[in-house]
Amino acid sequence: MTNYCGYMGKVVLLDLSTGKAENYIWTDLDREKYIGGKAMASKILYDSLTGKETPFSPENLIVIATGPLTGTGAPSSNRFDISSLSPLTGITSSSNCGGNFGHYLKKAGFDALIIRGKCERPTWVEIDNGEFRFHDAASLWGMKAGETQEALQKELLAEHGKPVRCGMAVIGPAGENLVRYASVISGERAAGRAGMGAVFGSKNLKAITSAGDAVPSVFDKDKALEHHKRWVSYIRSHPLTGEQLPRLGTAGLVSSMQVHGLLSTRNYAKGRFEDFEAVSGEALAEELNVSNSGCLSCPIRCTRRVPVEGKTVKGPELETLGLLGGNIENRDLELLCRWNYELDELGMDTISTAGTLAWAMEANEKGLWKNGLSFGEVDGLSQVFDDIAHRRGIGAELAEGSKRLSEKYGGKEFAIHSKGMELAAYEPRRAVGQGLGYAVANRGGCHLNGGYLVVLEGLGMNVNGQTPRGKADLCMIMQDLMEAISMGGQCLFTSYGVVPAFMIRNPNGLLAKTVNAVVPWIGPAVRVLNKAPEIACFQLFLLPYTYELNYTVGMKMNIGKFIRAGERSYNVERAVNARFGVSAENDKLPKRLTDMPQDPKRPDTKVPLEQMNMTYYRARGWEKNGLPSEKKLRRLGIR
Amino acid sequence: MVTVKLFGTLRLDSGVREFTAEAASVKELYPLVLREIRAKKADTAVTERSLRACLVAVNGEQVSPRAKLRDGDLVYLFPAVAGG
Repeated sequence: MTNYCGYMGKVVLLDLSTGKAENYIWTDLDREKYIGGKAMASKILYDSLTGKETPFSPENLIVIATGPLTGTGAPSSNRFDISSLSPLTGITSSSNCGGNFGHYLKKAGFDALIIRGKCERPTWVEIDNGEFRFHDAASLWGMKAGETQEALQKELLAEHGKPVRCGMAVIGPAGENLVRYASVISGERAAGRAGMGAVFGSKNLKAITSAGDAVPSVFDKDKALEHHKRWVSYIRSHPLTGEQLPRLGTAGLVSSMQVHGLLSTRNYAKGRFEDFEAVSGEALAEELNVSNSGCLSCPIRCTRRVPVEGKTVKGPELETLGLLGGNIENRDLELLCRWNYELDELGMDTISTAGTLAWAMEANEKGLWKNGLSFGEVDGLSQVFDDIAHRRGIGAELAEGSKRLSEKYGGKEFAIHSKGMELAAYEPRRAVGQGLGYAVANRGGCHLNGGYLVVLEGLGMNVNGQTPRGKADLCMIMQDLMEAISMGGQCLFTSYGVVPAFMIRNPNGLLAKTVNAVVPWIGPAVRVLNKAPEIACFQLFLLPYTYELNYTVGMKMNIGKFIRAGERSYNVERAVNARFGVSAENDKLPKRLTDMPQDPKRPDTKVPLEQMNMTYYRARGWEKNGLPSEKKLRRLGIR
Repeated sequence: MVTVKLFGTLRLDSGVREFTAEAASVKELYPLVLREIRAKKADTAVTERSLRACLVAVNGEQVSPRAKLRDGDLVYLFPAVAGG
């Protein structure tokens, strides 16, 4: 139980081997330190994993965690997190999803679900108002994600005699066949990255449904409601969250990335794609987009709805447009939308699929692996995706990801991954802070876990993308802030409101130019804030998250505590990874990005990683081996 | 003669994708862009001020709004964007 509002007060450990569910002790002190979501999951993994587990062993845990704001009506608070040892990277990883499963997990009475063990045969688990029921999933095995969810609705209808409103987390064939980057699907949304679907598959877990009648309480309803209204109004009035994202979605970034040299092209050989307009957000809006939609409780509504095979389905995000567009030299937008749908249905991460495919095309071109794949030849790729999901032919090899393939065939210098996870669509040689983020990110080549500095370095703001100055400190503070935002269950897109509207509306103005020029110099101030966050004992309108935790959860929160919670989250995740052998040696990027300038005439268009890494470790107060010391962990209250 | 392309919400708001114009600088271009937009959409909310707030790229590289233009240049105008 808990004295805080927003939480359901229960964390449950479900053992698939025995079928038993037991209470997992999670105290209010834990809630104050880790709040929820990914941070909570990381601490549970830290307390449970020894370093000897492997991703597909029954001892590996899956932690599905919600935030205290999920289900309370707070804006954009429908996110949930799945954390586990990743089959792609072999270390801890997390995958955040906007589907409804988290919302309904709380309705069933739980803040988090921890899964261990393995079912003897294909199984789906029903959670109903705190009760667990195991069902045979033999008839579902082999089904795609959408088909599985439809079949589950029918089974629930037959069991309960009426339609059941529930959240679902399911896998497709890719998860069943242990594709290392298989996703978990909830509705139409994916917990896409890091192969969480394969961990489900390794446990013979086809699906989980969750339903119930519980409702999280709100600490101060009047103040919370007033704050929600003010925040929603701000989100809707901001040029990014109120105009660009609802009208163009993340797809709207393609054109801007092209201009800034940030658009991954031809397996990251280039940062610009000559036919970018064919696969841009504008083309999507003008030619295909029939409407937009959003996650539960989200006023931004950034999702694209596009026609595919006579249906209206979720459209591609920027990462998919970039990586299944220019990165494999595809110019066919309709085909790309179909692939996006097919990959979701197969239950496969579009980013890692596309990254692995681009590597394979280049390996074929260079004669390292004769696989029949070529840049720009895209007609048979639907079949290749299906082959990956079912591990047939070359699909069986592609299912391993680019790191393993490059170790087998050669071509490590152009295997575009970090720690085994393929990078998102932002080419980092023109945004070196983003390059640092990719390298040091706990889960591997992730733009968000890496601090998303590209939002300062050309997208949103216009800070010099080539200078390493200040980037290590900015990377750290951005990572910590994003961790903290995610803990509550909120979408990171709400954070774009932190960039003041005037910077976006008038990027050529003197004030915006001055801010852009000053930002690289604020590193020392960031480091002071990180060393002594207690000086930030106040709240800020541009960071509404602390107000939300005060009013909705009843947790006394200020900016300093919020940043500290984010830092704690990042460190505990790093400490888990240390048990699995991660150190500074793993914070790397392929040579294509660190040694070869994007523009041969400009030697600075590469990522000066070594220099930034050491500054980053110093900023974090880590040892030279890139790990937090015992003292550091104690100081953060982790030990 | 330069070719002008509009992107982002500016393109959605104006309905103009691309046109050609005679201009020796980006500054000279703004009223011509507005004229083009008004010809397509008389009740447009786009103003010269909002055009001046756009980022500008010439031949693929971002430039200052004070940049000079040469015959054959390809000019992009786009509002700032973020989020991915």
